[in-house]
Amino acid sequence: MSIDTAVVLAAGEGTRLRPLTRNRPKPMLPAANRPILKYVFDALVAADVRQIVVVVGYKRGRVQDHFGPTYAGVDLKYVTQHKQLGSGHALHQAREAVDGSTLVVNGDRVIDANIVRDVVDEFERSGDPSMAVLERPETSQYGAVVLHEGDVAELVEKPDTDEYRLINAGVYAFESSVFPAIDATERSDGELALTDTIGRLMDDGRVRGVRTEGMWVDATYPWDLLTVADEVLARGHVDEPQREGATWVDPAANVHDAAILQGPVVVGPDCEIGPGAVVGPNAALGQNVTVGANATVRNSVLDTDTRVESGSTLIDAVTGQDVTLGAGTVVPGGPADVRVGREVFEDQRLGAVVADRVTAEGDASFSPGTLVGPDAHIGTSVRAGGRIAGGAEVVR
Amino acid sequence: MCGIIGCVGRVDETLDVLVHGLSKLEYRGYDSAGVALSGDRVDVCKKSGKIEDLRGALESRSIGGAAGIGHTRWSTHGPPTDANAHPHLDCTGDVAVVHNGIIENYQSLRDELATAGHTFKSDTDTEVVPHLVEDALADGADNEAAVREAIARLEGSYAVAVVVSGDDTIYAARNDSPLVLGIDDGDDERGPAYYLASDVPAFRDFTDRVVYLADGEFATLSADSWRVSDVDGNAVDKVVDTVDWDPEETGKSGYDHFMLKEIHEQPRAIRQCLRGRVDEMAATVDIGDLGDLLPTGVQFVACGTSYHAALYGAQLLRNAGIPAHAFLASEYATSPPPIGDALVVGVTQSGETADTLSALREARKRGARTLAVTNTVGSTVARECDHELYIRAGPEIGVAASKTFASQLAALNLFTLGTTRVDGVRDTIGALRDLPSNIQTILDESRAEAVAEEYVDSNAYFFIGRGLQYPVALEGALKMKEITYKHAEGFAAGELKHGPLALVTEDTPVFAVVTGDGEMARKTIGNVKEVEARDAPVVAVTDGQSDVGRYADEVLEVPETHPQAAAVLANVQLQLVSYHVADKLGRSIDKPRNLAKSVTVE
Repeated sequence: MSIDTAVVLAAGEGTRLRPLTRNRPKPMLPAANRPILKYVFDALVAADVRQIVVVVGYKRGRVQDHFGPTYAGVDLKYVTQHKQLGSGHALHQAREAVDGSTLVVNGDRVIDANIVRDVVDEFERSGDPSMAVLERPETSQYGAVVLHEGDVAELVEKPDTDEYRLINAGVYAFESSVFPAIDATERSDGELALTDTIGRLMDDGRVRGVRTEGMWVDATYPWDLLTVADEVLARGHVDEPQREGATWVDPAANVHDAAILQGPVVVGPDCEIGPGAVVGPNAALGQNVTVGANATVRNSVLDTDTRVESGSTLIDAVTGQDVTLGAGTVVPGGPADVRVGREVFEDQRLGAVVADRVTAEGDASFSPGTLVGPDAHIGTSVRAGGRIAGGAEVVR
Repeated sequence: MCGIIGCVGRVDETLDVLVHGLSKLEYRGYDSAGVALSGDRVDVCKKSGKIEDLRGALESRSIGGAAGIGHTRWSTHGPPTDANAHPHLDCTGDVAVVHNGIIENYQSLRDELATAGHTFKSDTDTEVVPHLVEDALADGADNEAAVREAIARLEGSYAVAVVVSGDDTIYAARNDSPLVLGIDDGDDERGPAYYLASDVPAFRDFTDRVVYLADGEFATLSADSWRVSDVDGNAVDKVVDTVDWDPEETGKSGYDHFMLKEIHEQPRAIRQCLRGRVDEMAATVDIGDLGDLLPTGVQFVACGTSYHAALYGAQLLRNAGIPAHAFLASEYATSPPPIGDALVVGVTQSGETADTLSALREARKRGARTLAVTNTVGSTVARECDHELYIRAGPEIGVAASKTFASQLAALNLFTLGTTRVDGVRDTIGALRDLPSNIQTILDESRAEAVAEEYVDSNAYFFIGRGLQYPVALEGALKMKEITYKHAEGFAAGELKHGPLALVTEDTPVFAVVTGDGEMARKTIGNVKEVEARDAPVVAVTDGQSDVGRYADEVLEVPETHPQAAAVLANVQLQLVSYHVADKLGRSIDKPRNLAKSVTVE
């Protein structure tokens, strides 16, 4: 019973990553300098998947525009989940596109091929529905799993106790009977969670839990993109060719001879880095990023089309796409207490999160933990801090 | 104006390969289609209508053969009927021919053949070819010699492919119409297979190794070998090129239409166009040896959308102090202006546009240097011109050009920056580098669909612009005509009051492209007020720098940028409006009636 088809769930926004998700869903946010979803596709292709069905929804154009009709010779078929009513509902949208057994994978977490292969092996051996299970010190943000002799005995979403140590990695293998099982699953609060369907499958028979150890990296909050980048760079999982040490530079990037790259660092295509700039360690530059003369960029993720003008300093910064930071911008870096809604996250490593299409004129500075919404305009010499709403006009 | 496919070596799969190839070529024409397979006899199936109609007709037939040819037609001689569809047969039914182009001496050949007793079943020029082959065979020639003899009689433009019963070979030749071979030498498990087509996508799913035939060359494809020879039959050594783009770039990636997909691909297309060619910090542009051209005058020749790009390019050069003009290629070919020392630049997406090729040939005949600005590597225009500049937009399938126009504008900026001495190079390069994200902003936030909804029932649409936005107004109107079938006209804003204003009523929305806040914007706003006084709805496409929004019923915003980049951005909004109007009207957006992607007839 071999599996050559996968359904990738990429329809959800990922609201906890706002304001970075204004124009694209979480799977399109950068892990270092390429979309999270690209890692998922790479893992599937490496595990010999030949057909990928992508369930898209929120801002689906961004997924479709980026990947087009194939990835690495594998057909991508897009199906749309018009309303995001849970992971089971998302998978159900793919029922017409799937013929027989299928892998099901969350599109919003960086994974590697080992996880996929382990699930495929167990499914092919046992013939039972199978899911990847990982050991994690912290399970409260995820689905906790209890195994009994390799079978899933218990599934607890976001447990509020610390008695669990295994989590659901979001990589599954099912027979096509999963679709009628979804049909038969009751919705709770209007949503249809895939884990509820798995609960039904557990009642009807066995669901195998596959202990696996591969790369598995998730971002829950915007500043997590910094640690995701660290992990990806530490493993060298980037597209660009290696120059020396942990330095990867696209051939179509323009790095001035008098600029310094300190690994680990990755520089995407069409980037320009000016004389005297110091980029890295732990810096990831997407496509067409400009770092002006004598600027410093460290522990930061700068997404596509970001412009950092000369003399700026960015530490622990995450920028969205098409962000412009004028000359002499300063983001001095974390740690900081970050407020999101009513919650306060203490002591986070975060200089600033600057969402898509923000423009900061020169000489602006951002106190640790600043979150800037999309399209905001920060005037010259502004001392920004806290949370700045999307579209806001901030003057000194 | 048609599409040709051929295949040998695929045994039982021949028919599937042909039909698949035709579906990839449908953009070249689609009023009828057909296939012929040669085994012991020649089996033919052909049908007027779309490829789907041919598929339907094939379901009730069992036809097979080791060598096959197929054709999708866009009528030039005779209406789209089953009889006029290709392939065409001789009297015996042993010779089948597909053809793209126009045989200029077909009437005299046909008269001659009819007098000799041949019976014609169609109105096409093509049908003379199988009968000529038939005569040569009757005179004792072998198959290849017979086809050669027939080809030698033809005048005009053609890509021709022929199969003969009892022979697993395809014979093909070209003159002024595109023809490319696909080479798959096979491996341990399968034998070789060879293909031929008007364009690479037809067989790109099977091989990425291609051989571009030159005019006058003759190709012989059999199950185990391929050969290219000249008119006299001497073997020609051909280079086998590898095409780099992915075949599946020709899928729709989740969109309803290729056109919308291609509109969304513009950020990527511009990135590819600029890649490795600009250095903002050093303020330099690298377009290879084109940088040494330093033209003292430029004449552009182009058709349709490419002509609008040419108008834009000519303005850029004039702004840089170089005398430059854009000409409609079809006019230039027959009444060329004095050329002097001017560089003649042909702008053509496909590189096969017959009118443009003919204008360039006319220029070359008069001793001019020529440059091709094209999207298609290995195309006729690239081979015939002295220089070429590729726009690198990737394959475009929608018949109405969208991303290739944006890429043409970007490439013409590179050409101007690279060959002239102008001020502000760094700012211009910066604006070009900002284009992808600025276009993305429009794609994310455009209100074009709502505007389309509002005005979908209007009688006519007018588009006005000034300076670099004048070509954009023309292109906006052309797009509207092409895909919505509605009346649409573009005007230089200042011309409106000299006549066209008489057409303006409360039922004719006027799209005014107004960017910047300089003199041009002020003057165009004056024209907007003239329109408004006639109660016409006004849709302003603007970067918000001027107050045109106050006089407009609807505003379509574009990000503020350099004037040269603003034209590219404004055009994206107009593309989206036309697309959504056409979609709401239920038009065949990717294949508008009566139109084909690349017009390979004059």
